[in-house]
Amino acid sequence: MKFSYDFLQSFFRKKLPSPEELAKALMMHSFEVEGVEKVGSDFSIDIDVLPNRAGDCFSHIGIAREIAAVTGMEYKMPGTDVIEKGPEISKQISVEVRNACSRYTLRGIEGVKVKSSPPYLQRRLKSCGIKPINNVVDVANYVMLETGQPLHAFDADKLEGGKIVVRYAKKREKIVTLDEKRYELQESTLVISDELSAIGIAGIKGGIVPEVDKKTERVYLEAANFSPKVIRKGSQELKIRTDASLRFEYGIPAELTLMALDRAAVLIAQTGGGKVMKGAIDHYPKKREEKEVIFSAEDVRKILGVEISLKEVEKILRKLEFKVKRNKSFFYVVSPYFRTDIDIKEDIIEEVGRMYGYENIEPEVPVGEIIPAEKSSFLSSKDVCKKIWNGLGFDETYNYSFINQESAELFNRKILIEMEKPASLEFKYLRPSLVPGLCRNLKENEKNFEKIKMFETGKIFTKKEGSTQEGEMLGAISSVDDFYSLKEKINLFIRKFTYLSPSYEENGENVFMDKRRSAKIFLGKEKIGSFGEVSRTVTKEMKVKSGAAVAEIDLEKLIGFYKETKEYEPILRFPALVRDIAVLVPKKTRCLDVLEKITKEGGKNLREIKLFDVYEGKEIPMEMKNFAFRLFFQSGSKTLSSEEVNKLQKKITKSLEEVKEWKVRK
Amino acid sequence: MTDIARLKDKFLKELKKEKSPEKRRKICKKYIEEELSSVFCSLKDLSSKERAKVGEKANEFRKFVLEQMSSAKGEAKEEKEWIDITLPGEEPELGSSHPLTKLQLRCKDIFLRMGFISVEGPELENEWYNFDALNFAKDHPVREMQDTLFVKQEKRSALPSEKKLLMRTHTSPVQVRYMEKRRPPFRIIVPGRVFRNEATDSSHEINFYQLEGLMVGEGVSVANFKAVISFFFRELFKSDVDIRLRPSFFPFTEPSFEVDVSCSLCGKKGCSVCGKTGWLEVMGAGMVHPNVLESAKVDPEKFNGFAFGLGLDRIAIIEHKVSDIRLFYSGDLRFLKQF
Repeated sequence: MKFSYDFLQSFFRKKLPSPEELAKALMMHSFEVEGVEKVGSDFSIDIDVLPNRAGDCFSHIGIAREIAAVTGMEYKMPGTDVIEKGPEISKQISVEVRNACSRYTLRGIEGVKVKSSPPYLQRRLKSCGIKPINNVVDVANYVMLETGQPLHAFDADKLEGGKIVVRYAKKREKIVTLDEKRYELQESTLVISDELSAIGIAGIKGGIVPEVDKKTERVYLEAANFSPKVIRKGSQELKIRTDASLRFEYGIPAELTLMALDRAAVLIAQTGGGKVMKGAIDHYPKKREEKEVIFSAEDVRKILGVEISLKEVEKILRKLEFKVKRNKSFFYVVSPYFRTDIDIKEDIIEEVGRMYGYENIEPEVPVGEIIPAEKSSFLSSKDVCKKIWNGLGFDETYNYSFINQESAELFNRKILIEMEKPASLEFKYLRPSLVPGLCRNLKENEKNFEKIKMFETGKIFTKKEGSTQEGEMLGAISSVDDFYSLKEKINLFIRKFTYLSPSYEENGENVFMDKRRSAKIFLGKEKIGSFGEVSRTVTKEMKVKSGAAVAEIDLEKLIGFYKETKEYEPILRFPALVRDIAVLVPKKTRCLDVLEKITKEGGKNLREIKLFDVYEGKEIPMEMKNFAFRLFFQSGSKTLSSEEVNKLQKKITKSLEEVKEWKVRK
Repeated sequence: MTDIARLKDKFLKELKKEKSPEKRRKICKKYIEEELSSVFCSLKDLSSKERAKVGEKANEFRKFVLEQMSSAKGEAKEEKEWIDITLPGEEPELGSSHPLTKLQLRCKDIFLRMGFISVEGPELENEWYNFDALNFAKDHPVREMQDTLFVKQEKRSALPSEKKLLMRTHTSPVQVRYMEKRRPPFRIIVPGRVFRNEATDSSHEINFYQLEGLMVGEGVSVANFKAVISFFFRELFKSDVDIRLRPSFFPFTEPSFEVDVSCSLCGKKGCSVCGKTGWLEVMGAGMVHPNVLESAKVDPEKFNGFAFGLGLDRIAIIEHKVSDIRLFYSGDLRFLKQF
């Protein structure tokens, strides 16, 4: 918010420090200063008032008080001694408050001359970014900037009847505002009305009907305290945000209204002559009660971790205009009316801390019990995963958690979670899979790299029967791998990570992968992911080069199998015997089925089976293929004899030939 | 002695005389090409029994000569061959870690040394954890301090806070989620992805990373916070950086601070990275608000503590002098392969 340096100076007799020095002092104890800008002969200071201090510091008086507290300079309040020469206001008009307004105060002035404001007033308005209009309107704005209380001025002679009413808008009630815009109001919007119609949108913007113009002679000045929630709702619905509505939304103290009106009456009488009417109409049924906050010196020490003397604490609070009573080491504190942010002892301890200066608190290493960390293996095992993929030559990528419409087309609509008004349509849906992001990576890196191998770990989001689900996945993409080579990488990864061997089943359900050249990955009975060559739908839709392979693994499930240690298998000292075996099988026979038979018959001394050749073609029948396996036999307790191994081989051969179409080549 | 044995004897004698490996290689070559080939030629004249016997011996000898030849060759190579050590070999493949992964690991390591363990929470949150439980007033502009990305839901306004979904705007909801299930003392950190519904530019992203910290116990103070966080930054930046606290406001902490770290690049002198101020604004923090402890069913009369939120992307930007935050989420290998 912008503040005028010249305006701030008006609260002090002594010369203020330079704007830059002021900025420094405020930064360490109150607020950050975003910038200082010269405007004519004045400076505009942009102060980042903290949201909890809007109630007192969206005003020059508030900032002046902070300056006084931080620098030790004395400030003075502006003049509010009104000389009342006019008729009694209560004989001219009455006020009825029906809704959402805790205080409504009205003053009147007659015989006003509407003209332009004096230069100092115009200058200060400009420094705060407000355009001067005429003395009446300018004073209303000026006093808002000064006190934080929004004011509104009406031409008294343009009102119908003798009553002002604060009420909710009627159904379809319409109003034209000061900037000549037409609005149809909701029934939840608060208005100020005369006996005929709405003359202003309460706390947001005035209506054009009672506008103060050059001919205006009698003026009513309104200062009210409207419900923050009602003003916020109205402002959001109408999409109007004004200096007034902003202050009401944050909330301001009800005590301000009369003081602000008196100040405005003084200034209008000063600049435009006229007689201020006697008295003020003040509807204020329920006064705010003062609240006492109790805390001890021990509380201060415990929270701030520094011993501050009782006297010092008292001095700081008095400087900030708190009423302080003390009994031994207990403080009984009542905050000044303008500090609406003070509620509990921690609020007061913050005041002590910031004024004492956080820089004066010496660091102190915490003592106390350290609870041995419960296993947070998810995070660290995730790091292990990432290291393995790095080792396989995959670069780690981070993609957005969102997908656009184009990628969304690839999924079943029902599972997608849509965002409400995302800043860009690129972020329309939450990603239900890591694969679209990885495909995008592949596509965008193709122009610079020949070999692309990337992986990502991250959250995915889906909807299932109306409820949302969040899961963590590991995805990988490779332009140099086909189905089989990626499979071996996944095998290796899972074996290194879990000490278990995965199994695979035909896939056929994943839109991203080629139906035939893809598979589901299982650990035991649990499906933990799938992988395969990128499908043609994807290469076409996402314009990715074909011939890439992709994998997606459920990290949460996989990590359930994570194992940090295992029992070692003794290294075998006795020599191994090697036998080759070739099996002729129909083309559609799965390698796994043959392997299972061999394993079963081979017994415990069959240590390893390697498939070293698959042959189709000349010399064997058209509909057949030949698997060539190398078998390693080794015993842990003795040297196996040729005869023993030959016997095993015969057993295996016999078992394989029990299958009708299989033939072992001898 | 057979002919082959005699031949071998002769061969060994010849070989012994010669020192130069190159000449020894030539001797071997001569025996293979001349002497031995004539032996093999003469085999056809022998009976089949003899042929097998002599053939075997000859083969053995041939093998021996070949061995001598290759060792002579190796010696010759050692002596003469110059290799260009500046020629590249075959490049091995090792993937890169994302810079934000590396940074998270370093942070976790430093905090673990102070007894802080790492936990996680959901990215798709509800309003209760993201706002209500953290003492954000309802229908108040403070809820707009962060541009929230909401999930599209039917009749959203009629839903209770627990059912109104959004993408978490900070990692702070995990404070409550963690505390409500356990009893103090706690020392945790929460690294994770957070979201803001803003137009992206070189310093703003729709998703980015925070590292939340929380320490709750009996009599945890601002002085303790200063000690923990000073240690952290000194370890992270591997330099004797200073920290300073400035007043701030967060609904879930009271008192609240902004934490600045002295610029390690210029040593507080002021440079382009710190915007000529000598200080970097890197963290929001404060003492956990009693209302937050109550939301998590922790007795605020007995326990208190501090919490902080560190912007990881911001640290990474400073450390690597990255000019555009979007590079972290670009998936551009020209960037990623550098780490």
